[in-house]
Amino acid sequence: MASEAKGRRRAVITGLGAVSAWGWGVGLLREGLRSGRTAIGPFQRFDHTRHRTHVAGEVPAGPPPRFARGPRWARLSLADRFAVFAAREALAQAGLEGPLDERLAGVFFASSTGGMLESERYFTELVRPGARPPLGLMSSQQINGPGDAVARDLRVTGPVQTLSSACASGALALEAALAAIRAGEVDLALAGGSDSLCEITYSGFNALRAVDEVPCRPFREGRAGMSIGEGAGVLILESLEHARARGATPLAELRGSGASCDASHMTAPHPEGAGAALALARAFADASLDPSEVGFINAHGTGTPLNDAAEFAAFKCAFGARASEIPLTSTKGVVGHLLGSSGAIEAIASVLGLRDREVHPTPGGGRVDPAIGARLVLDTPQAVPDARVAVSTSLAFGGSNVALVLARWD
Amino acid sequence: MTTAVVTGVGVVGSFGCGLNALAEALRASRPVLVEVDRAAGYHLPESARTAALIGAADLTAWVPPASARRMSPPSKLAVAAARMATEEAGGDGEAGLTEVVLATAFGPASFTERMLRGLLAEGPGTASPFLFTECVANAPAAQVAIAGQARGPNITVTQREAGPLLALGRAAADVATGSVERALTGAADESPPLVHALLDRYRALSRPGADGGEAARPFDRRRSGFCLGEGATVLVVEEEAAARTRGARILARVRAWGSAFDPSASRVSWGCGHEPLARAARRMLDRASLAPSDIDLVVSGASGSVAGDRLEAATLHALWGEAPLPPVLAPKSVTGEYGGAQLGAAILATAGAEFGPTAGFETFDPELRVIPHAGGPLPLPRRVLVSSLAGGGAAAWVVLERP
Repeated sequence: MASEAKGRRRAVITGLGAVSAWGWGVGLLREGLRSGRTAIGPFQRFDHTRHRTHVAGEVPAGPPPRFARGPRWARLSLADRFAVFAAREALAQAGLEGPLDERLAGVFFASSTGGMLESERYFTELVRPGARPPLGLMSSQQINGPGDAVARDLRVTGPVQTLSSACASGALALEAALAAIRAGEVDLALAGGSDSLCEITYSGFNALRAVDEVPCRPFREGRAGMSIGEGAGVLILESLEHARARGATPLAELRGSGASCDASHMTAPHPEGAGAALALARAFADASLDPSEVGFINAHGTGTPLNDAAEFAAFKCAFGARASEIPLTSTKGVVGHLLGSSGAIEAIASVLGLRDREVHPTPGGGRVDPAIGARLVLDTPQAVPDARVAVSTSLAFGGSNVALVLARWD
Repeated sequence: MTTAVVTGVGVVGSFGCGLNALAEALRASRPVLVEVDRAAGYHLPESARTAALIGAADLTAWVPPASARRMSPPSKLAVAAARMATEEAGGDGEAGLTEVVLATAFGPASFTERMLRGLLAEGPGTASPFLFTECVANAPAAQVAIAGQARGPNITVTQREAGPLLALGRAAADVATGSVERALTGAADESPPLVHALLDRYRALSRPGADGGEAARPFDRRRSGFCLGEGATVLVVEEEAAARTRGARILARVRAWGSAFDPSASRVSWGCGHEPLARAARRMLDRASLAPSDIDLVVSGASGSVAGDRLEAATLHALWGEAPLPPVLAPKSVTGEYGGAQLGAAILATAGAEFGPTAGFETFDPELRVIPHAGGPLPLPRRVLVSSLAGGGAAAWVVLERP
């Protein structure tokens, strides 16, 4: 393989864990992705009666009773809980269990707001005269809270870092894990992200008029914005040697990644998708793959008019005329925009697609936007028996772009 | 793999603007402290009173007012520091692909606070798109990219006190592997009264009622917490051969970088896992074919934190084993915690700059067994270990080498 030709260690994915609006567990996520339905709808995480919109991808109550919460569970923020659950699930699928302090293991995590939901409750109390709200509410407010919680739960002693580049964070965390494995800093990495719904984010995106009043409709005509979601995604990455040595069966390979920045505007994407196209080109070069080998695309696909158009312009730049022929999907249409963890859960959807040889459909009414011309997968999963490579893109506030190249393992 | 070098430094802090201002403050061992505004009512009567804050620094030479009005405080600081750094580094800043990797502990906290206050007082209907855009953690890195047309990867690291060294390590790795031609890396932090009051409630800050009064006392037996700071620090990191070809002044070579985690730490404090941390630091040295005996100076992240300095001291002793520690600098009692000025101090130390006696250190702690620099001449170091352990458990190290 090309990665070996470059003399680099290869990174394979051996475990997946997820918490999403479809529930606690990657199995529920997979069922939801395949269903053709959206989990975005009315929600109760906070009182949103005075907000402009009233739908979100809210995680149902959980985790399931069989999950061993442990003594620290009660002190964790909601985002921390999502993260710890997904990490343990991924580790179990990989055939591993904590503690990991005897392994060369690291945590590469993403979050946009950490424990902001709890911080909002603390602040609401703090500004009341004479109030002394419990500090426990603030203890997980740090953006590094979810990643640290995973490391603490599994007794990781290797590198732990949290990246917070808005909606690109999850993909950047995977990129950082890939770099650490290639460099020999770790043999095993837990890579992913976690975010919970919170009022500041919900009101902020509404202030930008970036939220649709109905569940988001990526790449559809008449789309009017995103839907905010919550949850976590964690992938176990290992060096191929490490996986082979313990007899693990890879689910897929993270072949390469590429990142860039538009450097043009804080919120609007570059209209021709120049930054995203650069990220894609860098990812293909890093993976030593030709764009013609890509079998399907898991797009950032927020459902905002500007994002989807600019993103598809980048696909045209990267794939040429073939951009309109490659099956394309948006996981955000199913579970909403998970912000810092969106890149991770979309990488999970891509790995599932490569393994199952199908692309999940993108819910949302109306016809596909003819001005874009994407081959959006609709209604039911589309079989892609020959797809060996998938691309997952993440484009963020502030212009940060990331493309991940994932390859089937068989 | 090639080698990554530092060719420019920009720094803003309570001490002023630029590396010379930082050097003068460190030479004089003079923290610049101000009374923190308590009008919002966040503080307790016994709370810390002071912090190393920037105040009304004049940044117009680096951030024109028309641009500044569209930025949060840490974005302004970051852009100013980045412009200082790139001016010093020289060269064609738009040649090749430039990456931005910045750390921030708590992000643009004052804008987040304003968003929250607005939500509580007036409801979500009046939320400001501008405030929201600039209260995300990656706003400073994005503004640096826009200001400098840096189209490479744009990354924000949020790992508290370990963040600046993690950022520098990432930048050095990406330059060394050829992923990018150069990187702007460092940290940007603001410390409004809310952050000061919250850290105080966790007893992270030294208070007036402490033995010896309110002061940051690194490694001191009477240490009672750190002094909050703020600011921004940006380094230009590029490939050594390219820097030499264009005749750039090389300030330091980034010889090694590494990180680890101490799972015995609580969510907000430091743990007791010095042995595993020392093993991780030794692995970092091994990867660079170095040993502790190759290090001539330590620029420590010790800040006066009771638990943090204990862990730092134990980790250094475990790393050096029976051998005596080299001279240890602890610049955070001058610069305050956060803002990344430790990176600027490390560059100065690598260049052989003069450091005054460690501010705040008076009483030897027999448990820690570290006597930080007492003033006077320091050896011109071949290599400097820069260390920073974070509350919550993260740890990061970088080895800088004199070119």
